[in-house]
Amino acid sequence: MGTRRFEVADGFEANALFGRNGWTDGLPIVPPTPELVAAALETALLEPDQILGVEPVRGLAITAEKVAVNAVMAGCRPVDVAVVAAAVEAMCEPAYLLHGSAASTGGSAPLVIVNGPIRTALGLNTGANALGGGGPNAVIGRAVRLVLINLLGCRPGVLDQSTLGQPGKVSFCLAEDEDAGPWLPLAQERGVPDGASAVTVLACAPPRQVMNEWTTVPEEVCDTFAAEIRANMCGYSIWPGNYVLVIPPQLRSILVAAGWRKADVREHVWRRARVTRRQWREWGKGALADRGDPDQEFAALASPDDLLVVTAGGAAGGFAAVIPPWLGNRARAVTKGIGLCLDCNPKEERRP
Amino acid sequence: MKVLDPTAEAAAVATASAPPLADLAGARIGLLDNGKIRVDRFCDFAEEILRAEYGVADVVRRRKRNASAPAGGDVLADLLACDGVISAVGD
Repeated sequence: MGTRRFEVADGFEANALFGRNGWTDGLPIVPPTPELVAAALETALLEPDQILGVEPVRGLAITAEKVAVNAVMAGCRPVDVAVVAAAVEAMCEPAYLLHGSAASTGGSAPLVIVNGPIRTALGLNTGANALGGGGPNAVIGRAVRLVLINLLGCRPGVLDQSTLGQPGKVSFCLAEDEDAGPWLPLAQERGVPDGASAVTVLACAPPRQVMNEWTTVPEEVCDTFAAEIRANMCGYSIWPGNYVLVIPPQLRSILVAAGWRKADVREHVWRRARVTRRQWREWGKGALADRGDPDQEFAALASPDDLLVVTAGGAAGGFAAVIPPWLGNRARAVTKGIGLCLDCNPKEERRP
Repeated sequence: MKVLDPTAEAAAVATASAPPLADLAGARIGLLDNGKIRVDRFCDFAEEILRAEYGVADVVRRRKRNASAPAGGDVLADLLACDGVISAVGD
């Protein structure tokens, strides 16, 4: 490995060195020794020089070894690194808008949603406190953030110009609770074969939590979700994009009992998550309300499929979360298989 | 204990600023608008000042289709034909 090495006396000195150089997120790191990094690469079946992706705007190649260094620093075990690598790969797809979202004043964070058997193999948290850390979710999300800091220069006030930022920037990794109900997991809905593991990444705003414990009517449950999206459209961003809807067991059980599938949720929210131009006036944005036809309608979702429905969370509580897209402006969710190629043709690859 | 550098060591590419224009009189200046609200007005003022006070001969106005993504190839090609370019960021 040709990576530059530093000699330090111990973990404290390593932390001092990394902190001084601006190589951390402010939290302590696990010193990335050559042995730990080599073990991570070996477990993830990655070559050190393997390019996981190229950031499309500045053409920065991101190698597996550098990702592994940052994953070790974040506290990842060797088995966690394949998830981090897949997330980085996905974020380098042009559709994700990595440079724009990482640099934006709009305060986006990279959300990583994990599906498939790897969730249970790694012990990812899909239950109580699903959006609040716990399990290896915390270190996987943190590793992605350290990659942004160290490999793309996304330091606050430098490339990262977020006006406020958000807690999701520290770590934002969600795993779907696939075992509790009849609904198809997100990754399978997005073309990943049953039995395979995958990540879906999206540049997004912070979660907006809602609560409705006063109904068993599926339309009313989904109206609560749509109303929160409308609030986001007026308060934060009017642009359509991929919204994520996280539905815990209590509200999910109402929908399932009524025979609703994820597709029914998407259809209902797609129809209801719309605002007219005049509504901006109530939000102190009269200048925008006056820029065109007051009855002009804006939809949060260009199509029902733009809503990503994920089941996760603790058993009790009529809560759910809407996670809006970062300013909703053309950045898209990207799904990548973990350790598998979803869209390549093995016969083509074997050609000399 | 040895620890590895977490940064993109090879990413640093030497770049240098273009020499400043000696004179704006007679020059062709590009104005790149990032597409956000009111940048067009800023560019209107900039064009007026460039022409009236600095004798700029030609102003090439182009607008990005997406503020969060690089300017497209056609836009860049037009701007490359200019003596200088002002990239206007409205936010």
